[in-house]
Amino acid sequence: MQRDYHDILWGGFLSLLGLAVAVYSATHYDIGNLRRMGPGFFPVSLGAVLALLGVVIAIPALWRAGETRSFAGRELLGIIVALLLFALLMNRVGIVVTAAAVSFVASAVAPRPGIVWRLVLAAVIAGLTWAVFIEALEMAIPVWPWSR
Amino acid sequence: MTTLEGLAHGFTVALQPEVLIYSLFGALLGTFVGVLPGIGAMAAITLLLPLTYYISSEAALVMLAGVYYGAQYGGAVASILLRLPGTPQSVVTALDGYPMAQQGRGGVALFTAMISSFAGSMLGIVVLVVLAGWLSAVATEFGAADYAAMMIMGLVAASTIGSKHPAKSFAMVVLGLILGCVGTDVNSGAQRLTFGRTELIDGINLVALAMGLFGVAEVISNIRRADRHGPPDRVTLRQLIPTRQDLRRMVAPVLRGTGLGGMLGALPGTGSTISSFLSYAMEQRIARQPERFGKGAIEGVAGPEAANNSAAITAFVPTLTLGIPGDPIMALMLGALIIHGIQPGPLMLEARPDMFWGLVVSFGIGNLFLLILNLPLIGIWVSMLRIPFRWLYPAIIVFICLGVYSVRGSVFDIAMVAGIGAVGYALSLAAFSPALLLLGFVLGPLIETNLRRAMLISRGDPMIFLERPIACGFIMAAVALILFPMVKSVFRGRRPGALPPDPRGIWTKKKGRR
Repeated sequence: MQRDYHDILWGGFLSLLGLAVAVYSATHYDIGNLRRMGPGFFPVSLGAVLALLGVVIAIPALWRAGETRSFAGRELLGIIVALLLFALLMNRVGIVVTAAAVSFVASAVAPRPGIVWRLVLAAVIAGLTWAVFIEALEMAIPVWPWSR
Repeated sequence: MTTLEGLAHGFTVALQPEVLIYSLFGALLGTFVGVLPGIGAMAAITLLLPLTYYISSEAALVMLAGVYYGAQYGGAVASILLRLPGTPQSVVTALDGYPMAQQGRGGVALFTAMISSFAGSMLGIVVLVVLAGWLSAVATEFGAADYAAMMIMGLVAASTIGSKHPAKSFAMVVLGLILGCVGTDVNSGAQRLTFGRTELIDGINLVALAMGLFGVAEVISNIRRADRHGPPDRVTLRQLIPTRQDLRRMVAPVLRGTGLGGMLGALPGTGSTISSFLSYAMEQRIARQPERFGKGAIEGVAGPEAANNSAAITAFVPTLTLGIPGDPIMALMLGALIIHGIQPGPLMLEARPDMFWGLVVSFGIGNLFLLILNLPLIGIWVSMLRIPFRWLYPAIIVFICLGVYSVRGSVFDIAMVAGIGAVGYALSLAAFSPALLLLGFVLGPLIETNLRRAMLISRGDPMIFLERPIACGFIMAAVALILFPMVKSVFRGRRPGALPPDPRGIWTKKKGRR
């Protein structure tokens, strides 16, 4: 039987998330009353509503065929690694080296073989970043590994 | 200050060389990012925010606004020629624009999109002036309950109007509201849902959230499919000329689209994406031969393009007169205004007339620029579509990182972008709308503050929402919006195929289908 797995999984997850938010907020923050709402009032009610909506999304999806969509797993991984690399390198080696490394890693998942164009692209992007953000906009951020 | 005096004053502001140059620069940059798939007005505005520290507040706002409406022009190009919408607003344009291009009428479709955009913007400016003047007079009467009711109605409208799955849309709004709770509670000072991270005390960074949900998620889903299309055909100036019949067919859809877009744009929550989609549905419904739609009907390009540009202009109404951003891009604009020490609200028209009228006039000048420049430049915009996406997206990723990092120099925010980007991609695969999540996030703290204030004033009596006429009107409208689709589906049964695909699921729809 066909099922809409996207909606089932996301509905279930949102439901659990809503429940978790509601329970966590209810136990950690003061709910107050209608006249004087405490910091917990809003998150608890929202969590409950989200939990309900999750169920409303998931239940009908059990008897409905969903669209199958191709999952770009490789691309997802490449981009996430590139972003984390920026977080890791930025404060240590400055923007120029970081920009080159990040664009090289990001380009790794492009659907075209070859290493030369990737290296050239990384160099061009690093140069462009330096020219636009450091030279033209004078952004106050670390530029080189030795500039602190 | 009367409207005429205001306009005259606006011209003196907008015609200053500095303001003029930044307006032109913003409009061209906006067109550029609108043309390129995978990077939108949001990313461009984020990157420009740090730059605005160095220029005057008028020039800054005029430039950012230029990026916003410029992107609406540019989005149509890739949409028509490649069926690869550059912005979510131009998804609908592809429905009839792309078939026109396949029939060799791509030039006419581009001309239609541009002239409709121009007409929509110009009429949108009139609506903006009228509505803003009226609203800022009325808004002084607005109490906390009215603000809260209006924003709630906006969120309900955004998630129900034209939505295929209202439950999924609502879920995104609520998730956004929850994310908006993260950080220090304004009323009590309690730190909510921060889990002890000091980086979260100020809440989740709007720019990080927006970049993750839009920039990163879009790049991921476009890498594999963006380069599959062949290069677009060249478009010469001669091909742009429409026939007399084309022109005649355009007029009514443009006027209807402008009216619809102007109205929806002014409501918080329903922005240009929804209005272009609704305009298409409306044109199809009143057309004498609805079967022409989807096969290159010029009305299907003219109406939505007029609607989304008109909505883009009137979106400034709630932002400037009430201080309530109607969409995430407006939230960034609001941020830019506040950086420059300008507090938007009912008093802004009185306190900073130079700002308001300067902006109004610059809309007109900027749009005129775009119309005059884009006709001869169309060849350049089209040739930009020949740049392979694999050369662009690594640069986009670096720029996204820099944009987020430049806000407060935090690498924690970059890690957030990575996490949010992964979740955003998974959400878009399942046809959830990231725009609604962001809208909930932006409006959440405003709704909570006003709701709590209203309840404090009424001593805990929720009837305040029905006793105040303004609040009551908004609440009634919200209830009607929720009940109407339910009633309709019970009485008529579902009519599949009556509506074009939900534009908010766009990044997940297979663009190469058929």
